[in-house]
Amino acid sequence: MLAQLLLNGLVTGLVLALPALALTLIFGILKFPNFAIGGMLTMGAYLAWVFNTLAGLPLLVATVLAAGSLALVAVLCDMAAFAHLRDRGAITLLVASIGLSFVLENICRFAFGNDARNFDIAVARPIRWQGLRVNHEQLVTVAAVLGCLALLYLLLRLTPLGRAMRAMADNASLAAVRGIDQTRVTRITWVIIGVLTALAGVLVGLDRAIDPLLGWNYQINMFAAAILGGLGSVLGAVVGALIIGVVEEVATLVLPINYRQAIAFLAIVLLLLFRPHGLFGRRAIRK
Amino acid sequence: MTAYLVAILTLVAIATLVGFGLNIQWGLCGLVNFGIVGFFSLGAYVAALVGLSGAGAFAGMAAAALACACASALLALLAARLEDDYLAIVTIGFGEIVRLVMLNEDWLTHGALGLADIPRPFEHMVAADTYPVAFLAFAVALVAAVFAILEALTRSPFGRALRAVRDDDVVTATLGKSPFVLRVKAFAIGGAVMGLAGSLHAFYLTYIDPSQFTPIVTAYAFMAVIAGGRGSNVGLLLGAGSIMLLIEATRFLKDFIPFLDATKLSALRLGLIGVGIIVLLIFRPNGFFREPRLASRSVAPQGHHADEADGAPRGPLALAHSTQSPGRAAAGIRPMTTIETTETRSST
Repeated sequence: MLAQLLLNGLVTGLVLALPALALTLIFGILKFPNFAIGGMLTMGAYLAWVFNTLAGLPLLVATVLAAGSLALVAVLCDMAAFAHLRDRGAITLLVASIGLSFVLENICRFAFGNDARNFDIAVARPIRWQGLRVNHEQLVTVAAVLGCLALLYLLLRLTPLGRAMRAMADNASLAAVRGIDQTRVTRITWVIIGVLTALAGVLVGLDRAIDPLLGWNYQINMFAAAILGGLGSVLGAVVGALIIGVVEEVATLVLPINYRQAIAFLAIVLLLLFRPHGLFGRRAIRK
Repeated sequence: MTAYLVAILTLVAIATLVGFGLNIQWGLCGLVNFGIVGFFSLGAYVAALVGLSGAGAFAGMAAAALACACASALLALLAARLEDDYLAIVTIGFGEIVRLVMLNEDWLTHGALGLADIPRPFEHMVAADTYPVAFLAFAVALVAAVFAILEALTRSPFGRALRAVRDDDVVTATLGKSPFVLRVKAFAIGGAVMGLAGSLHAFYLTYIDPSQFTPIVTAYAFMAVIAGGRGSNVGLLLGAGSIMLLIEATRFLKDFIPFLDATKLSALRLGLIGVGIIVLLIFRPNGFFREPRLASRSVAPQGHHADEADGAPRGPLALAHSTQSPGRAAAGIRPMTTIETTETRSST
């Protein structure tokens, strides 16, 4: 029982790692917490759903198309909204991002209504292995997320672009002095974020049904994961997501299932009380 | 038609109250509250429960304001010493918790069924057919009273201290005012006003259930504060009142555009508010009304208005400027985050 919960928790955590990474990347490079991530996730799931069921494409192709489209949406949103607010401070950006979240979510609601939707995929019997039940969706999730994380790691560590992104996160002015094109790095960051979020949207949609509140219901978990890892820390976001996922599953042993969503919130509260800068972050307390 | 107008005006009065609450939290003190709907529904439920227990509507209102003030103060205590980002997510979490409790604690809230027959103020003194008008008058009187109190607060030394915390908490701390205490106080006062608004909502409908409390309450409030001008109560009253009237009037769209059903309409409304928030932030960051402040040129001849930092110059100088501009984005506050990411990233 516990082993099953641990397994489920790790898979949940892996899905959570993608948007948590997206959050932490934006925070690192653009220095604001992007509350539009929930709306983006919802939109990613709906885009994939459109390509999958309405256009009749296989889910894999639909996911790739959705990732591309959401990347485009993210860049456009940045150009239309955030680019104009860049030098107004984090609070303004944060409020603008919740506005954007309302817009994205309600475009989906306007187009497809409040009904829950599902991807058009064959339902397969879960695999049994050593007394554990493993769904096909879970296997797909693990493979997709691990692949994505490996690619992202290589990108950040080994490519000139990754170096530019890290430089900009460290010190934007210094990076600019050294000739890094900030606009380009920002756009590419949004592309990465769009891809990560769309993939997460598809994986969450596989797990649950797709509805306009998909991303909003996930918002606290994403932030809990990113804050737990220390906002801005890439490794932290992944570890934070895994912890939140596992704790959420295991806590169902002691807490009523209805209050599952409260666990991530409790995690944030405890963290703020005892380790305000997250597990991997450094000081963020103001004097 | 008159009944319709009275209904819309009552809703606008309630929304304006919520806006007042956010205005003191975010407009005046710079504290972002994305869990407004949580405080609003907490106020409604507390007022309903206290009222139903036989203590009367006014005791319900007082209890609602008190409960919300306590909840806000507690959240602010948790998060206000940290970066603003944390308060934002903690308030969202609070909203979710309130929603979960509303839905799941059947013994207290009757779950999805909600609470009915909530006692209303002056119920026995006014004839049933004129009650809506009387209630509107009561709501407007309450808005006026809250307005007067907040306006006095805003112009008092306390209000100035709050604005100072918003613009630069380091300077405020240097001058001997504790930003932490000020933040908690501002957040609690704002929460109390939202609780009051929630109680009005409960009295107005006499029936509440969890489905009435959606993020649109939060969106309305932000739209109201941004449109009215952060920190300006007058602006909130005039600008936001008229804008919310406009948004409420979108109900009539349903009669003209056939394919628009209730879901589409509410989606359209919330989406438009989102667009409105972004557009106003970009083009009218100070809203339609300026917040009241002493003329700073009489104090510092060459000094800058803190809110001019909002319109910081762009172009080649923008980068250099952004690290030197006064206000919340000032160098004294942000670099900590930068250092944090520096170290964590190099260790990844």
